[in-house]
Amino acid sequence: MIVRVRFHGRGGQGAKTASRILGTAAFNAGHFIQDFPVYGAERRGAPVASFTRFSDEEITERGFIFSPDVVAVMDDSLIVDPLANPLAGLRKGGCAVINTTKGADAVGGARKDVVVVPVALTEQALKFLGKPVLSAGIAAAVARVSGIKEESLLAGVDEELREVGLSEDMVKRNLEFAKSIYGELAPLKLKTEELPGKEELVPLALVVSGEGTEDVTRTGNSTVRHTGNWRTFRPAIDYEKCTDCMICYAYCPESAMSVGSDGRVKIDYDNCKGCMICLTECPLRAISQTREGGLQ
Amino acid sequence: MATTSRFKTLKDMPVEDYLTPGNTMCAGCGGILAVRIFHKVLGPNVAWINAAGCMTITMSYPLSPIKSNWLYTAFASAPAGAQGVRDALDFLIAKGRLPASEDMKVVVVTGDGAAYDIGFQATAGAIDRNLDFYYLCYDNEAYGNTGFQMSTSTPFGASTKTTPATEAFPLGNTGRKKDLFEVWRIQKAPYVATLSNSHGVDFLRKVEKGGTIKGPKLYIDFAACPTGWGFDPKDSVEVEKLVVQTGIWPLKESVNGVVRHTFVPRSLVPVKEYLKTQERFRHLFEPAEKSEAVSIIQSQVNEYWRKAAAAEDLDVRLPEGAR
Repeated sequence: MIVRVRFHGRGGQGAKTASRILGTAAFNAGHFIQDFPVYGAERRGAPVASFTRFSDEEITERGFIFSPDVVAVMDDSLIVDPLANPLAGLRKGGCAVINTTKGADAVGGARKDVVVVPVALTEQALKFLGKPVLSAGIAAAVARVSGIKEESLLAGVDEELREVGLSEDMVKRNLEFAKSIYGELAPLKLKTEELPGKEELVPLALVVSGEGTEDVTRTGNSTVRHTGNWRTFRPAIDYEKCTDCMICYAYCPESAMSVGSDGRVKIDYDNCKGCMICLTECPLRAISQTREGGLQ
Repeated sequence: MATTSRFKTLKDMPVEDYLTPGNTMCAGCGGILAVRIFHKVLGPNVAWINAAGCMTITMSYPLSPIKSNWLYTAFASAPAGAQGVRDALDFLIAKGRLPASEDMKVVVVTGDGAAYDIGFQATAGAIDRNLDFYYLCYDNEAYGNTGFQMSTSTPFGASTKTTPATEAFPLGNTGRKKDLFEVWRIQKAPYVATLSNSHGVDFLRKVEKGGTIKGPKLYIDFAACPTGWGFDPKDSVEVEKLVVQTGIWPLKESVNGVVRHTFVPRSLVPVKEYLKTQERFRHLFEPAEKSEAVSIIQSQVNEYWRKAAAAEDLDVRLPEGAR
């Protein structure tokens, strides 16, 4: 039986590396494998996808996976992102591994015919690695639910992360991270069934939820893109401490800070990507960060 | 210059933004920050002429983060595109078909790939024709858009996709960063300047000064690249500060060929402090420090500032033990 896994992440979270780790892990376990990402104009924070197929028989399928057995969603804000649409085509009886702190509620009952496996990966990544890079963790979660042995997984993590040039220390920490996630979950017996109906490509029309189609003739219309869901951390200004020195405003690369009529700097949370330059540059430490709670 | 500029502190930065939020650049991108500040000084009537690079992706149909105009050209031909737009505006205004109030500033914006390599000769042509335009190069020292391959702007010792640190080449890139400032200057461009986002007032003043000069006005902005260089996006401006404080990126301008340093670090921070902030230089320090390579970089910087200090009578203290 072929297991088809589709990873959805944000650029920089490690979706491509995750698909490679899982591929190598399955190869170590004796499977035939394929793994590959979508190549395009990816950016840090933008929705990206990658794929892994593994099977105990030769795989004759090629190309992107439109009807996966398992989807791995590395950021729960992607679930409602029309450009990512991670649950599309997921087979009946399939599994959705979701990085979230909201438990199974993260999918909001959108699919009752699949198994939802929630796991708080970002929290664990911050604990083990100090940064929200999830490749080893999400690969470990998918390896566990799809029944790949732990030693095969760890060998895959080790090999792939060395190949991308991580330091000895970082490889070790990623191995600990993968072990922790692997131990947290249990294997599933998946019996999947393709959804009825012809495969449809995700339509390219740009639909920004709740806003209709944007007027292409309006200049500066990128404000409806809402890059705010790229954030891992959320900056907040303490207006008691702030002296309106404007340094944060000057160095915000996004124009996501504006000066109100009262002369105070305001943050546009719809589009702030959470780069946190403002926090670093504020001479009075009047800006703090909290872990982002996901889209409201 | 200081006495006539309207920019005294960062508080004088114009509050009008012509870059809107929601662009698709990486979080912490130095290039888009440069575009934002540059646009603030130029005001609303701008035609950006872009060659392939990261900035190209900001204009993903149907969304645009720029409140002015944007024209794509092929990789090698942004300055030629600028000539076309400049000429069209001039003709239309001369014939009375366009009111003079609708004139635009023509600005080429490219990365270092187009400026240092692929669009090199088109720029030379535009300088030779004394085209009245601005050129903003956001220099992140490699082809960042395609996955960080080496360009001729890549500095000595940097690891890129095409110059990785390997057993055969333990230093990564063994070439030296091209001195584009000098190359543009000796072609008799009336105004050439280097910028760093971290030195905002210097940045604002140089763009303002360009506005008083007719002909090619060329700017190279040191644009920190968290994705390609491997550092936390929050440190983007800090990295830009360090590159100036170490003396690796001198802030200077050339007016009709006469060079003047606009910011002189009184005592240079050792280059090591800068190199250590980024993954692309990690192989210079791990597993063991390659002190010979680091001292080559340091001595290049020292040599530069010795010459500059002698030419302009500057007071620059080199790091301790400098050769």
